[in-house]
Amino acid sequence: MATILERVAWEPSLIDPAPDRALEAYARRKWGMNNPALRYFAPVPWLARAVVDLHPEYGLLMHVSHRLAGLLALVVSQENSCRFCYAATRVMLWTQGLSLTRIQQLEHDLTRADLSPTTLAALAFARSQSRSGPPAAHEARDAIQRAGFSVESMKELAFVVGVTDFANRATTITAVPARGMERMPGRWHMRLLRPLVGRLVRSRLARGRPAPLDRVPAYPYAALVKAYEGSPIAPALGRALEQMWASPHLTRRCKLLMLAVVARGLGCDACVPEIGETLGSEGLSPAVVTQVLTHLDAPELDPVERLLVAFARETIWYEPAPLQRRARALRDHLSSEQVLEAIGVAALANGLCRMGAIVLDSR
Amino acid sequence: MSRFLLWGTALVMLVVLAGALYRQWRRNQRLEAQLEAAAADLQHLQEACSRLAPAGVVQRLVADGVAPGVQAAERKVVTALFADVVGYTALGERLEPAVLARVLNGYFQRMSDAIHEHRGHVSTFLGDGILAYFGALQPNPWQCDDAVRAALAMRAAMHDYNAELAKEGLPPLAVGIGIHRGPGLAGLIGSRERREYGFVGPTVNMAARVQTLTRTHEVDILVTDALRTGLDSRFVLTPMPPEMVKGIAEPVVTYAVREARG
Repeated sequence: MATILERVAWEPSLIDPAPDRALEAYARRKWGMNNPALRYFAPVPWLARAVVDLHPEYGLLMHVSHRLAGLLALVVSQENSCRFCYAATRVMLWTQGLSLTRIQQLEHDLTRADLSPTTLAALAFARSQSRSGPPAAHEARDAIQRAGFSVESMKELAFVVGVTDFANRATTITAVPARGMERMPGRWHMRLLRPLVGRLVRSRLARGRPAPLDRVPAYPYAALVKAYEGSPIAPALGRALEQMWASPHLTRRCKLLMLAVVARGLGCDACVPEIGETLGSEGLSPAVVTQVLTHLDAPELDPVERLLVAFARETIWYEPAPLQRRARALRDHLSSEQVLEAIGVAALANGLCRMGAIVLDSR
Repeated sequence: MSRFLLWGTALVMLVVLAGALYRQWRRNQRLEAQLEAAAADLQHLQEACSRLAPAGVVQRLVADGVAPGVQAAERKVVTALFADVVGYTALGERLEPAVLARVLNGYFQRMSDAIHEHRGHVSTFLGDGILAYFGALQPNPWQCDDAVRAALAMRAAMHDYNAELAKEGLPPLAVGIGIHRGPGLAGLIGSRERREYGFVGPTVNMAARVQTLTRTHEVDILVTDALRTGLDSRFVLTPMPPEMVKGIAEPVVTYAVREARG
């Protein structure tokens, strides 16, 4: 049964897959099965780990149900035209017992499907945040609270949407092959194994339990991590950010510039000041930062920064195939690890911004 | 005998029932396949529409339909680019209509590609003119730089196209481009039967008027002062003498775009 995204143009993969046994074993321990996308992210360990560790349904959600999280991931992946994530989410829902007919029913018209008003409100929230992002955050936040979601539930919804935005971009920009995942529910052996796989997947799904934030983070988006204090999301997000900052393929300044460009492009008022302050401590004067954010370039930038500042902007609003081609062009100037890290940073920046706009909104 | 008849009838009924069930199952399969294809087409259409209007507008249309009187409009600051072929009337007199149409199609394609490459959105073709917006479909804080880069790409594309036309013994084309940034109302505009995503306000008018000044100043790309203030200093601009234009009370200050440094 074809998915509705199968006609979205999709380039061949940018990165050669590099199977990593330790990483695959880690994913199997955590998820009950391996994710074929991980071998494409393996050369940059923080990115692969973040994809595994930030998956909301494995011990990170205390208030939002797994089923709702799955539907949110489906809607966001559809909005972002991410063929791989969309197909993977479909497979997850299918193995967990949702029939393909029911999934199709939901896909065809979510607004008119026989879902509860709160579920529809959550899906509308996910759609609005994927499409409009921070400028619509205040309105989306009000709507979700009117629908009866508590502040804690709302934060979890924002997390699910943000993390799906991150995973969508990571897999879309690297053009992880989607065909195998799209065809999976149609394969006879998968149909046969479905109850077993479903059981395995369900056995690993876990509700989140309160988890302390053992270290006070000291990096941009620390405020976002702190906002999740008490939830298992905080330490998981904190670790992913720490590992991203510690990764050696791109400089910290370059990563900060990419984060700043995405925040500016998305119009995230809550995110820009924190990043701007940190850029100051990296030796960039406010005038240079303003120049970069206003014109996406400055003489003070090094060649890698100049390339990636422009690239970060491309990841905000995009069509998959042209963005995949632009990312491929980076390979003429950067190593595979640098390209992959740049994709990871830009993807994470997009997710964090959408999360931050909801969670850090003080209006 | 009667027992045999009973079993025979039951068997026939079973076969008929099985046949009917099978036919129904086949029918369901066909309907499901049609539904799937229709849904895929709808998704495809929605994606295509998203390139013509902001996703939010498309979503509202899909959810609510296009009811008469419903206006999905919002206030925003947009950069408008207006381009026009210089000497189009004379060209039309010199070329066969079929040749003129082919030359124009080539021109529109190349200009549209240059605009799209720099995140612009071609709103409409007006005769030989092109009206494009930057920052109308999605928020774009870099819309001024994008518009001027698009104009420079259009200049380069015209240069290449003229080389192609020369090989065919056709006269070269020249284009005048006016760019202005300002506020207005963006949304669906038109009659009940036909609507398109457009932008209403003096910004479009100003871009069109500035475009006509390219003839006066004998340059190909002109930007207004409002646009210049948002522009990267690496664009090399030459100030032009202020000129009166139709419909605007004050003389309009414009700048010719020479090149982009770096």
